[in-house]
Amino acid sequence: MKPDDLDRSEILMYLNTPSLDENLSAMLEDCVKKLCAAAQPRTVYRVLPVEHTASGVLLGGLPLQGEDIALHLTGCKEAVLLAATLSAPVDALIRRASVTDMTLAVMYDAVAGAAVERVCNDLEAEIRAKYPYPYYTARFSAGYGDFPITQQGALVQMLDAPRKIGLTVTPAQTLLPMKSVTAVMGMSHEPVKDARRFCCGNSCEECPYHETCPMRKENAV
Amino acid sequence: MDFRTLLLNEFVFLDGGMGTMLHLKPGELPERLNLTEPERVAAVHRAYAEAGSQIVYANTFGANPLKLAGTGVDPAESIKAAIRLAKDAVGEGVCVALDIGPTGQLLPPAGQMTFEAAYESFRVMCAAGAEAGADLVVIETMSDLLETKAAVLAAKEATGLPVIVTMTFTENGRTFTGCPVSAAAMTLEGLGAAAIGINCSLGPKEILPMVQEMARWTSLPLIAKANAGLPDPVTGEYYLTPAEFAELMPAFAECGVQFFGGCCGTTPDFIRAIREKLNPLRRGRRCFAKQAAVCSGTRTVLLDMPRIIGERINPTGKKRMKQALLDNDFDYLRGEAISQTEAGADILDVNVGTPGINEAEVLPQAVQAILEVTDLPLQLDSSDPAALEAALRIYPGKPIVNSVNGKAESLKTVLPLVKHYGAAIVGLTLDENGIPTSAAERFGIGERILKAAMQLGIPKEDVFLDCLTLTASTGENGPSETLRAVRRVHEELGLQTVLGVSNISFGLPNRPLINRNFLCMALTNGLTLPIMNPMAEGMTDTVRAYRMLAGFDVNCENFIAAYQDAGTPAAAAPQKSNENLTLEGAVIHGLRQDAARLTLEALQTHAPLAVVNDMLIPALDAVGADYESGKVFLPQLIQAATAAQSAFGVIKQQMASQDGDKADKGKIIVATVQGDVHDIGKNIVRLLLENYGYDVIDLGKDVPPQKIVDAAIANQVKLVGLSALMTTTVGAMEETIKLLHQQYPECKTVVGGAVLTGDYAETIGADCYAKDAKATVDYAKTVFEPQ
Repeated sequence: MKPDDLDRSEILMYLNTPSLDENLSAMLEDCVKKLCAAAQPRTVYRVLPVEHTASGVLLGGLPLQGEDIALHLTGCKEAVLLAATLSAPVDALIRRASVTDMTLAVMYDAVAGAAVERVCNDLEAEIRAKYPYPYYTARFSAGYGDFPITQQGALVQMLDAPRKIGLTVTPAQTLLPMKSVTAVMGMSHEPVKDARRFCCGNSCEECPYHETCPMRKENAV
Repeated sequence: MDFRTLLLNEFVFLDGGMGTMLHLKPGELPERLNLTEPERVAAVHRAYAEAGSQIVYANTFGANPLKLAGTGVDPAESIKAAIRLAKDAVGEGVCVALDIGPTGQLLPPAGQMTFEAAYESFRVMCAAGAEAGADLVVIETMSDLLETKAAVLAAKEATGLPVIVTMTFTENGRTFTGCPVSAAAMTLEGLGAAAIGINCSLGPKEILPMVQEMARWTSLPLIAKANAGLPDPVTGEYYLTPAEFAELMPAFAECGVQFFGGCCGTTPDFIRAIREKLNPLRRGRRCFAKQAAVCSGTRTVLLDMPRIIGERINPTGKKRMKQALLDNDFDYLRGEAISQTEAGADILDVNVGTPGINEAEVLPQAVQAILEVTDLPLQLDSSDPAALEAALRIYPGKPIVNSVNGKAESLKTVLPLVKHYGAAIVGLTLDENGIPTSAAERFGIGERILKAAMQLGIPKEDVFLDCLTLTASTGENGPSETLRAVRRVHEELGLQTVLGVSNISFGLPNRPLINRNFLCMALTNGLTLPIMNPMAEGMTDTVRAYRMLAGFDVNCENFIAAYQDAGTPAAAAPQKSNENLTLEGAVIHGLRQDAARLTLEALQTHAPLAVVNDMLIPALDAVGADYESGKVFLPQLIQAATAAQSAFGVIKQQMASQDGDKADKGKIIVATVQGDVHDIGKNIVRLLLENYGYDVIDLGKDVPPQKIVDAAIANQVKLVGLSALMTTTVGAMEETIKLLHQQYPECKTVVGGAVLTGDYAETIGADCYAKDAKATVDYAKTVFEPQ
């Protein structure tokens, strides 16, 4: 991963600031460089059959809970289940900074958020190029809408993610390493009208920035 | 068949993939099949035995209580059934192994599962496997060295069976958690594995260089159990045929591998092909020369040149460190670990021995805290065998134990621990008669310690001798006797030598000058492991210069890398500095160094509390107000808080050295609730609360409800702050509040975190919902300073 790969405006959004002064900008650039050097992005995905039943939607035989995910996959016969992680060294970088300088820690955290997003974007582009579907729904993660976070473990297991990319889930369904994502993306030959849309790919209620996100005001779900 | 008999064979053939052969349907749990469809599992074992496998792995890879929780499958039942059905299927001539895979969760520092929980889950598996008659224990597909250690210890302690271990590595030669091949090899050999190697990961071609690397780090028999190549990214199918796979095996035999099998995508045909290919061959001769080395879970330090052991984490003579230990302030230890790492230490000594501290409890906690922020190997420093054992258990890697000495009692208690946990040991050359004055007598004690260690099977390379630095002021021959002893140990015994360097100058003026010169003399006389302060001026420089001049630094590369920027302006972020700057201004503009300097100045003329109340807090209030009105944003707020924190560091340092009153306004506990590991928000809150003069007891993350309540009661705190980021952990927050109400109702609670709202906070019984760190401070004021 290279420093130029990361969207600075996205990082500023995570930092909840419109801009940075010269000092902080220099600090941020240094953080971007160090984070890119530390990150070992790894991804895994599977294309799985989708089955719609009266009681909900099944992905590769796994019943997914909640109405939102069922709507999100309306009409899809297949969907991608994906996972991405920046790997353990990024967590270590943030841990160290939390002791020496919280400003750095907060910056690393924001940069890592943008970095994992970038890794997902790249993976999504790779998948789109490989499969003959013209339409894909947005990446939808456990914890969005009424798709419960408690399914995180089952998704991780379905991808064999601990063995494939070293991504694990704690009993409280936290992904570890922390800078990681899992998501479901519907594949379709027609636009999926009922697909859930969120301003930043996230549900405002579940979004860590829900109090302060500048985009929430216009697009609150 | 007995495993030890098998070891006499030129090659030992293992089995191939189990999952591949079971053709699992979606959602089917392999470990359930041992109970529901034993014949289906037995057929796989039979097929491997017929293909020539001499050890088959029972279908128990995932039969871990932590993994099977909630599936309705009892791990012990599944394991017993699996071992029995395998034994029945393959008969007498083939060994049946209890197969243990990872728990799927991470241990510290990357994760939060406790060592004890992992150990207990593996112990249950091992006990069941041994009871059902397994011939050996196989631990495989491991990434996390500490988890692997838990499994090996469980197997060793719960069964008398041989244990063989394979870990899984990525293209960069490290596991997912960052463990290099060298660290895995030396740690597992030290723990008493019977054979080690690599499984899964990648195809044979990719793992060959890693197996070759492993051969350089261990004398144990080697195992290779690769996947059938790399999986196709679309279909997930592995692409190598049995013949192609077997074709790659002679290269493994050539580097001395004895155990052969396959992992994902391999079948009995692969085993047959490997056997046919290898049967006419002999394995290559191993020319292994053991090197002195230590490691953490992520870094190996080869002791092939003088290496610095950082001495700062030790309360002896350090009031601030003593206070930090008494206050459970592990961040102070973490800070010292980071500074020493950055200053050039290669290994860190960890000593927590001070009155009022239960070392057996605190040493492992300190080790864990330090390993969160550094990857340097540690030297566990205690005279309490219970503390050493507690820390040795949870240490990921191969540490140094400091120390044993020539007394019979010490040799009897410490050396068996060192052997059991595969550590290196520092031997102090003193005994029942004290420290001998002459070099010859110290050398003699050193020889005795070495002999006792080797009798227990501790390799010579793992015995380091400390010939003891005596203060120069106590006798003019002291230093030269010490140096003479160092030289003899180095030259005649060929051992690593350790000295606490700065003892030399105790009680004398200009200590740094004496320390530097003695260090240089000692290095020249064969000192390889100076215990010293890497931040003290000139000390690390001396070691670097010595390494270069003594020929350890090829092309002076390391020396140049360390000093090429010296003399140029500081590369760090530019700090505005001017003479008119006030402490308030330094905080508002987030200037850490200036804030520290100006605090020191202010303390000359003001009481600590006045500096806090009249300078720091008004500055923070100003930044806080600007933040609330949108004039400054989160990064600036935190930068100001960080500057104030450095001011507080100075105040605390001053107070620790004066034993005076504390300047704090009251105690507050903060914690991230059980199950939750996201602590950045909590850390910001702590920082701001500390800025406002509160004494914050940070219990960390993933803290059980009762632990928070106990700490609140023990410290008589008025306010507890709880953070939760996940919907799944808000329950733990509610539970904590409930327990607090029951057991300590006068305590107030303030909660925050991404998933919380004011309404929700009220529902779970919190006294206050704080939307951010600033709001937490505002609430704390109303609790501690009611109008």
